[in-house]
Amino acid sequence: MTTLIGIPLRSFIDPTNLVMLYLLAVVLAALRLGRYPAVLASFLSVLAFDVFFVQPYNTFAVADAQFVLTFAALLGVGLLISTLAAQAREQEKAAQDRATHTRTLYELSRDLALVLDPIDVVNTMTTYTDRIFRGKAVLLLAYNEELKLVKQTDCHLDKQGLDVADRVFREGKPAECLVDNQGEVYGAFFPLRSTQGIIGVLGLWLSKLSTTLTSEQWRLLEAFASLAAQALTRINLMLEARQTQLLRESEKLQSALLNSISHDLRTPLASITGALSSLREDAAFLDEAARSLLINTAWEQAARLDEFVGNLLDMTRLEAGVRKVKPEFYDVQDLVGVALERLGVRLDERDIIIKVPETLPPAPIDLPLMAQALFNLVDNALKYSPRDCPIVIDAKVVDTNLQLAVIDEGPGIPAEDSMRIFNKFYRVQRSSEVAGIGLGLPISMGIVEAHGGRISVANRSKGGAVFTIIIPLEIPLNLQESEKKE
Amino acid sequence: MNETELRVLVVDDERAIRRFLRTSLTANGYIVFEATNGDETLEAVIRDRPDLIILDLGLPDMEGVEVTMRLREWSHIPIIILSVRDQEADKIAALDAGADDYLTKPFSVGELMARMRVVLRRVAHPEIGPVFTIRDLVVDMARRLVLVRGREVQLTPTEYDLLRVLVTHAGKVLTHQQLLRQVWGLGYEGDSHLLRVNISNLRQKIESNSARPEYIVTEPGVGYRLRFDI
Repeated sequence: MTTLIGIPLRSFIDPTNLVMLYLLAVVLAALRLGRYPAVLASFLSVLAFDVFFVQPYNTFAVADAQFVLTFAALLGVGLLISTLAAQAREQEKAAQDRATHTRTLYELSRDLALVLDPIDVVNTMTTYTDRIFRGKAVLLLAYNEELKLVKQTDCHLDKQGLDVADRVFREGKPAECLVDNQGEVYGAFFPLRSTQGIIGVLGLWLSKLSTTLTSEQWRLLEAFASLAAQALTRINLMLEARQTQLLRESEKLQSALLNSISHDLRTPLASITGALSSLREDAAFLDEAARSLLINTAWEQAARLDEFVGNLLDMTRLEAGVRKVKPEFYDVQDLVGVALERLGVRLDERDIIIKVPETLPPAPIDLPLMAQALFNLVDNALKYSPRDCPIVIDAKVVDTNLQLAVIDEGPGIPAEDSMRIFNKFYRVQRSSEVAGIGLGLPISMGIVEAHGGRISVANRSKGGAVFTIIIPLEIPLNLQESEKKE
Repeated sequence: MNETELRVLVVDDERAIRRFLRTSLTANGYIVFEATNGDETLEAVIRDRPDLIILDLGLPDMEGVEVTMRLREWSHIPIIILSVRDQEADKIAALDAGADDYLTKPFSVGELMARMRVVLRRVAHPEIGPVFTIRDLVVDMARRLVLVRGREVQLTPTEYDLLRVLVTHAGKVLTHQQLLRQVWGLGYEGDSHLLRVNISNLRQKIESNSARPEYIVTEPGVGYRLRFDI
């Protein structure tokens, strides 16, 4: 192109100055197009200069031998400029890359600071690996000295990949291998280091072998791994802190419970001891009526103590998982019969309405346990509703569940307590009038849940509470094993 | 046989339990003997010839079940076992081994007396007679006729057999296994759903309210009992 500009000027400008134009062209080529085009331009410039601007025109021959020096100089300078300009270009690109990498790392560390879960870590790493390298990420975390894959969607990790990952985990040095034969995808595995040692391995799926990456890019990958390790360490520490807090709270709760239990057991015991000691020591001063009263007091309090102890044992067994639920198909009427039978004389003065149709299908229940659960609900209804109000037991099928409701006309449950009443030892009224250790509802709930069901509580619009046991009419899968063993 | 002649062997390793049982039984006219473990029990049965044994399941040297089995090898003496709640497996094992009934601790003396009376009555009157009447239920076993409040009830052969077995053991608990064996025969011991279905049908026919059964009572986890208060 320079030649085209130069030719018309031939006559006016000294050839020496034209050389400058060619040099300019070479510099421009170097800056814009790169090293090799610039070198090519240098050669072309020399040739063009020779042909068009050196006497004799239009030939490669040279009249004045001094021009050979010019040619050499032109070529030399041209090559030098190419090299320098190309270097400048490369350095600028490298600087730009570094800036991009730094910004990427900043953004990555910012995003990782918000992450709460190892799965989020994988997703974040994938996003960034994709952005820079058009690749993906997998994460393997160490649990008890063994590497386990944290769930990720489309990265396939085969045996070879797992072996490499394992090696990286144990030796602490990055490694890589081919992970996808068809797509020529390589996995680069980096150990994740924390203050607790190597906690896992980060695998980055790239579309080219690491040896083709620049050292800058490799350092970037290592930085990715380092940030991932930090995020994971942070997540671990967070979990530990939370567990410690829970443990502390649970210990506080335990000591509160122990105090409560101690009080609840000692109170009836005190009445019994008191009544009996009076019978022993005051025998001479007691008339028939007084003696009778003391004996009855001791008897009632002993029954109460028996109930408390029974409840405590039930709760303990339930929580320890000692008693396995063995469901068999029973008539709901049978269940109701057993529960009410256990209540005995307490039902004599109350009106119990039973609405359990004969056509109900049998339900899979562990009879002794479910009878206890129902007993506790009716027991509660008896305690918290006035004597002249009836208690209704209503059973029906809704969808694939049996719904067994205990309905009373008492004061109902205040809205804020509706969840709390299922807490252990919680009582709406703490008085000696309403006997109870506060375990009835949690026990019922535990039993029903062990059957794969749940208990719901609601208030009647006309006043009173409705406790509903909802259990599936088909044996839940996790209980079917025990059925088969029968 | 009046009660003043009846001899009861009380077997429990807890002194307090033996004490209150002795006091109560003696007050009710029984002659009381005591034993604290399995070996003593077997000796006492031979030596003192009791008419009934009250046996605690949680004995130290020999399980109550084992004592029952050993006794049943050569004696039909009535045995009532004492157990704690949720000792279901042991309870059933003892009943299947030949114990006649059970009581769950803590129990009242009244409950004990009632159980004892039922068990001893069987010994005293082994022939139950062809017609059995309890409240509104009449079972005439000679004519295979069942009446509830005077009206005849149609039962299937299986339902009738089941009722008959319950009636001939009136007041006593019968385990699922015992019922299955006596009504359906050997080999049916695992088919408890057969039993439950038939009990359910039977109840619907003879009970006025199956949810508050008057006659056939479920002993959860153990079996069934025909309620018979003397």
